[in-house]
Amino acid sequence: MIQAPETPARSAEHLLRWYPKDWRLRYGDEFAELLTSELSERPRSWRRSVDVAWHGLMTRLTKTGLAGQIVEGNDQARAGLASFGCALAVFLGFGIAIWSQLTIGWQWSQPSAEGTTMAEAVMSVMLLIFVMLTAIAALPIAWHILVRFLRREGGGLVRPSLLFVVGATVLIIGSRHFGNGWPGTGGHPWAHQGLVPGGLAAFTWASTLSVSSYWVHPGALAAFPPAEIAWMVVSPLAMTCVVVGAAKTVRRLELSRRVLRYEGRLASIAVVVMIGFLGGSGLWVIDGGPGPRNLFHAGAIDVAGLTAMAMALAVAYRAISRARRSGLLLPPG
Amino acid sequence: MTVVAKSKNADRPSTPSEPLTTFGRYAGPATLILSSLAEGPKHGYALTKDIEAFSGVRLAPGTLYEALSRLESQGLIEALASEDRRRPYQLTAGGATALRAHLADQRRVADLGLRRLAGTWGAA
Repeated sequence: MIQAPETPARSAEHLLRWYPKDWRLRYGDEFAELLTSELSERPRSWRRSVDVAWHGLMTRLTKTGLAGQIVEGNDQARAGLASFGCALAVFLGFGIAIWSQLTIGWQWSQPSAEGTTMAEAVMSVMLLIFVMLTAIAALPIAWHILVRFLRREGGGLVRPSLLFVVGATVLIIGSRHFGNGWPGTGGHPWAHQGLVPGGLAAFTWASTLSVSSYWVHPGALAAFPPAEIAWMVVSPLAMTCVVVGAAKTVRRLELSRRVLRYEGRLASIAVVVMIGFLGGSGLWVIDGGPGPRNLFHAGAIDVAGLTAMAMALAVAYRAISRARRSGLLLPPG
Repeated sequence: MTVVAKSKNADRPSTPSEPLTTFGRYAGPATLILSSLAEGPKHGYALTKDIEAFSGVRLAPGTLYEALSRLESQGLIEALASEDRRRPYQLTAGGATALRAHLADQRRVADLGLRRLAGTWGAA
């Protein structure tokens, strides 16, 4: 069957979809008219399509504080901090997958290569700093949320908070369940020489089980128990719920200039810690060696993980530097 | 909502053309749009055709609307009511001041460049 050629108006409507809904509400009609006139005059132009797609995506990114005009005020700072949080979550998702792989290996046998030992020590220290930073960053935000709910003004926070709580609950329960079944940790007779307690290593390993090269080996993956495959699908979804819930909550909170500045300082410190963690992971991949029984072998998935971490670090840096340029995160004067 | 200038030279005194310097790579399209609107209100397609006619530059739709939305958010242009889907825009008083100052800056640079060229290479 021969399809009828697309009309300019229909092509314009398709191109318009690159832009976010709120932009389309304001400019959609007039922009579609312009595109229709352009398409009638010149039906084919790859430069026009690329231009519209690029600006549509950039407009979408503007809401995240990562692109577009830097505006002075609360919005830019909150958007920047929320995007920073998302980038940090992606970074830690891949980072913890690498770290837990090494800590699990250490439960079985001590690494022979100095590079692996050093990398594991660096990553562990950085992870500890991340935990502390997250705790002290979450305190004022949790307080603000509590105050909003106590004043019965938390209407807009119910859904993102619920998303966060549900995601975190699923992640904790699932990670504990699947971590307990892993040999070599959590009370197994061999778990005697690890850098961190076996239960913690198993928990982090289970929470990042989805970061796996088995996805590209369906034959080997099919041999996994169905519940474990299901967890490999569910756990990243739960992690996404946690991150999206937290980011949306921060976006909707009216935080004072002082709190924003405090969060901005912590985020700047976190960027430095991210660099340290990435350095540790890189040291292992470059200089680690497979170690006894191939326990510390760095594979393609780890190189992919490092690449994703480097990209997340770049996004985090951009988010926080743009938020600082908005003026709110800088000290007054 | 105030747009923050990208200039690293914070001590530099601001000039009336300052709003356009914050446009970065959109300063060119913004100048062309304001110059076109200096003649009177126009909608998107009319702007594209007019700019192409007087400058030889055809602004792509995404670039045009990015610059239009920035100009509108800075109060340099404003949208007019329209009965059909094509919405015309017109220059505001602030936009006229910014454009005049920006073009005067550009003319100073052009005059200087031409004088130096004439001094070294002779008049054309």
